[in-house]
Amino acid sequence: MAAVDSRGEVLDVQALPLPYFLLRARVAGMDPAEPGQFVMVAGANRPEPYLRRAFSVYDQEPGSDGSLVISLLGKVIGRGTEALAECVPGERIPVLGPLGTGFHSVADGASTSGRAALVAGGIGSAGLGLLAHALERAGRSFDFFYGGRSAEDLVEAETFRRLSERTGGRLVRTTEDGSAGERGLITTPLEAGLRAGTGYTTVFTCGPHGLMAAVARIAAAAGIAGEAATETPMGCGYGACLGCAVTLKNGGYALCCRQGPVFRLEEVAW
Amino acid sequence: MVSAGASSLASPDLSTRVGPLRLQNPILTASGTFGYGLEFAERADLHRLGGLVTKGLSLEPLAGNPPVRIAETRGGMLNSIGLQNIGVDRFLSDVLPGLKDLPPKVIVNLFGYAQDEYVRLAERVDPYEGVAAVELNVSCPNVSKGGIEFGHDPDVLSGLVRRVRSATGKPIVVKLSPNVTSPQTLGRAAQEGGADILSAVNTFVGMAIDTATKRPVLSTIRGGLSGPAIKPLALRIVFDVAREVDLPVIGIGGIETVDDVMEFLLAGASAVQVGTALFRDPRTAERLVDGLRARLRAEGVPSVDSLIGAAARPG
Repeated sequence: MAAVDSRGEVLDVQALPLPYFLLRARVAGMDPAEPGQFVMVAGANRPEPYLRRAFSVYDQEPGSDGSLVISLLGKVIGRGTEALAECVPGERIPVLGPLGTGFHSVADGASTSGRAALVAGGIGSAGLGLLAHALERAGRSFDFFYGGRSAEDLVEAETFRRLSERTGGRLVRTTEDGSAGERGLITTPLEAGLRAGTGYTTVFTCGPHGLMAAVARIAAAAGIAGEAATETPMGCGYGACLGCAVTLKNGGYALCCRQGPVFRLEEVAW
Repeated sequence: MVSAGASSLASPDLSTRVGPLRLQNPILTASGTFGYGLEFAERADLHRLGGLVTKGLSLEPLAGNPPVRIAETRGGMLNSIGLQNIGVDRFLSDVLPGLKDLPPKVIVNLFGYAQDEYVRLAERVDPYEGVAAVELNVSCPNVSKGGIEFGHDPDVLSGLVRRVRSATGKPIVVKLSPNVTSPQTLGRAAQEGGADILSAVNTFVGMAIDTATKRPVLSTIRGGLSGPAIKPLALRIVFDVAREVDLPVIGIGGIETVDDVMEFLLAGASAVQVGTALFRDPRTAERLVDGLRARLRAEGVPSVDSLIGAAARPG
């Protein structure tokens, strides 16, 4: 599937509140993203930062005249994300995508039976948005494990509660300060859930490196397959700069932007 | 000054001669920023480029450096890719067939850890008609041995070029390092060894530190700085090299706009390579071809040739 390099028209930018934001843009000619795929975007007419930023497509819907309306869920952490959060409706921003390899077990149509556990750490939920919708549409039950430092980090909790409950699943929250859900790390209820033999067949995760590494360990111990949507600094997003290496267990490197960003948990040298 | 005249209505002649190479226009893509070319077929119109320089190729495939490999800085980026590549044989068998019939000239960037490896690489590509020239990477800052050593010692460099010269009849481009006191001295050494063309410059050695972790950002600590931040530095080197070495020069360093292209041509470059700007916008090179044509037409400049080195001539 060819990615388009286009100007997206910013429809709105919602503060969720800041530092979290949801940007919606209409992109002419863009193919829908597979769950886990991403776009390279930048603020409008800004010389700095120089490079575009990679954003998971969090949600999407058909727009007018064959365009695609994409939603990007972000957190302001630096100049690139700030430039996007400051976009105003009507501005044109560069959008290149969809890029990368998404969740294999969705694309392959494999492992479609049994319950899934989706595990997000903070803004990592952005990488699981399309997947949650796809599972819900496919009628596959999933629980959404959502961990953060504090309640405001569980930024789209109600969306994931709604989607998971529609599949007969539930939302499980933890925060490090106890302001939402159980106090602690999300790996605690995940590990308990996987041990209890509650019928999970797949784990999908996106979040900080430490969380994904822990999920990989827990899944391996429970004998459950899984995938992670990884993140690295990216120069170009389409395989030219070779800057986004992910170290694999076999000792080699894979490009996050092409072979990834989604990898099978057991492939990656966490 | 070039006077505007009847020629302002005609389409300016963008073709340029760079030593033995004749290019349809002076816009090339730089090594390491355009893959092997074909990756870009769906994002850019390859037909319109003057030439493309492949990712550096070695005798055997290389896995490259561990992450983190890149860091964005003000006006540019540091990279330490470590010459990850598919190896020369796979390039020749799998990639070159798809490139060789396109209008842009294909320049193959070669990298070795020892002089003998450059020689064997040159021998390997020599029979292939689709290879218009070889560019010797003697200035990569991101490998612990080889490469850069050849680009920093004039005697070693002229000896290396001489050996490659005896291994191939292809035009030889030597890519100069900016991380030396006098790039023009290395340029003269390359000429003495039998180089046909110089390209200047490779990346500037730099580093970045993560203030949160208090550690260097790049796994190799040092990396090569590219992007608009280096343009004035690169331009100065191209100016000096073009004046002091009697070889055609291909200018490289932070080129993104038509003005940038003009500056390098005026400084004495016969062509330019676009690099990091492709990451920001994969269509940068073809945009520059259109932009340069429009600019020359608007100024009534009949040809690229008439600009080359104009800034070095007495006003």
